Amino acid sequence: MSSGVIDLSPWQLGLALLLVAAVMAVSIRQALGLQRDLALGTLRTIVQLYGVGLILAAVFAAARWYWVVLILLAMTGVATHAAVSRLSRPLPGAYSIAAAALTVSTVATLAYVIFVVVQVHPWYDPQYIIPIAGMILGNSMTGAALAGERLQGELRARAAEVETRLVLGFSGPEAVQPLVRSALRAAMIPTVNGMMTVGLVQLPGMMTGQILAGSSPLVAIRYQIVVMFMLAAATAVGSLIFVRLAARCYLTPAQQLRRYLL
Amino acid sequence: MTEPVFAVEHLSLAYPARRGQPAARILHDVSFRVERGQALTLVGPSGSGKSSLLRCLNRLEEPSGGVVRFEGRDICSLDPRRLRREAAMVTQAPVLFDGTVRDNLLLRPAGIGGDFSDARLGRTLAEVGLDARALERDAATLSGGEKQRVTIARALLGDPRVLLLDEPTSALDPPNAALVVETVLRLREARGLTIVVSTHQPELVRRLGGELMFLVEGEVRTDQRPDAFLAGERSAREPAA
Repeated sequence: MSSGVIDLSPWQLGLALLLVAAVMAVSIRQALGLQRDLALGTLRTIVQLYGVGLILAAVFAAARWYWVVLILLAMTGVATHAAVSRLSRPLPGAYSIAAAALTVSTVATLAYVIFVVVQVHPWYDPQYIIPIAGMILGNSMTGAALAGERLQGELRARAAEVETRLVLGFSGPEAVQPLVRSALRAAMIPTVNGMMTVGLVQLPGMMTGQILAGSSPLVAIRYQIVVMFMLAAATAVGSLIFVRLAARCYLTPAQQLRRYLL
Repeated sequence: MTEPVFAVEHLSLAYPARRGQPAARILHDVSFRVERGQALTLVGPSGSGKSSLLRCLNRLEEPSGGVVRFEGRDICSLDPRRLRREAAMVTQAPVLFDGTVRDNLLLRPAGIGGDFSDARLGRTLAEVGLDARALERDAATLSGGEKQRVTIARALLGDPRVLLLDEPTSALDPPNAALVVETVLRLREARGLTIVVSTHQPELVRRLGGELMFLVEGEVRTDQRPDAFLAGERSAREPAA
């Protein structure tokens, strides 16, 4: 039994494309009307992944810290835009808030994992820092977007509750605290549920990738455990910062609720 | 000479155009005074700005022009949290939180001193016509009128000098509305409270007495009495013969 990686030839990728052809057949047969999106999605999957692969190969070969930082900045920019675009209503300063939340959560979690847990030398080794940062950013982004969306919904539904607390003499932050808590729970629940079922329902993507790449399953699970804990921390920090800053946008210094933003 | 409790001068409130909504003028050049222990009743059709005016007095809204003075001081110079405790507001739809009536009465910011013993809570409930045994009841099981009276009791526990009541009976059926009217009258008598109330309830207008202010489209109408408006409200409330 070989422990090496089976490289995939273009011919083998072409065979994988037959799976998409099967999906296309289902779409035509069932009149789902997904053929155009499916074709575009297939094309984008190939082009985007090849593009990222070429960039990563160049960065891996160069192994310079500034290229790594540049890639991380670009990833943070894309994640910020994705988090903001998921909000159902505009929020003033949403880009700054999302950028601050994602940057702080990513830098803090990444620094801890790279310097303290995995102890990567040099710290900017792209083989470690780019995939780990990608996972952290992805989860922080989802957490921040879920928390922001939930906060907006709660404020719309519970504005009268917030104003009742205000008229009883609570400060603005105190008046919205139960809604902030509810938004944070909504952001954290998928991560906590993921920790409950990890490995039982399906093997996580990173662990699967490591095993396919020839790592021992015991090495892969140790990395996966670190990843699960890291993602929980990144989601909590990212959504906490996002929702706290977003909640402040809805309040005035005179402890009023900006109803027109709801 | 003592300062009026509220002195409002040339108050305006407008919302700028936003997200496809046109700009809206809510209140325009509203001026009035409310003396200590007096009652002021705001009447006018729906959308005339009565609730917005009360919200300005409580500083839940920031006026776009004019000034509101509370006991001689511009409310912009006061801590809004203190203003809201001294001029307590009761909203149109009573908002009670999960838990018992006691939990709801005890809801206040940390660090606010005072007597919040069961004995005082019971006395305050009695002031609004509720039995002390109601303390143990789940707030969700109260009727609309009981809920409104619990929100009034909750406001009273902060020992306010003014009660701002925003259509306190509009969400209630006639028997419950009558109970709330009785409660407001009793409180004014017993506590000497200054009361500013917006209402469509002719019975409350008649029995509360004091000053009457007729608002139409955000402006005070001094050129006409609201009698025809109130007569229309009265006939709308009476069952058809």
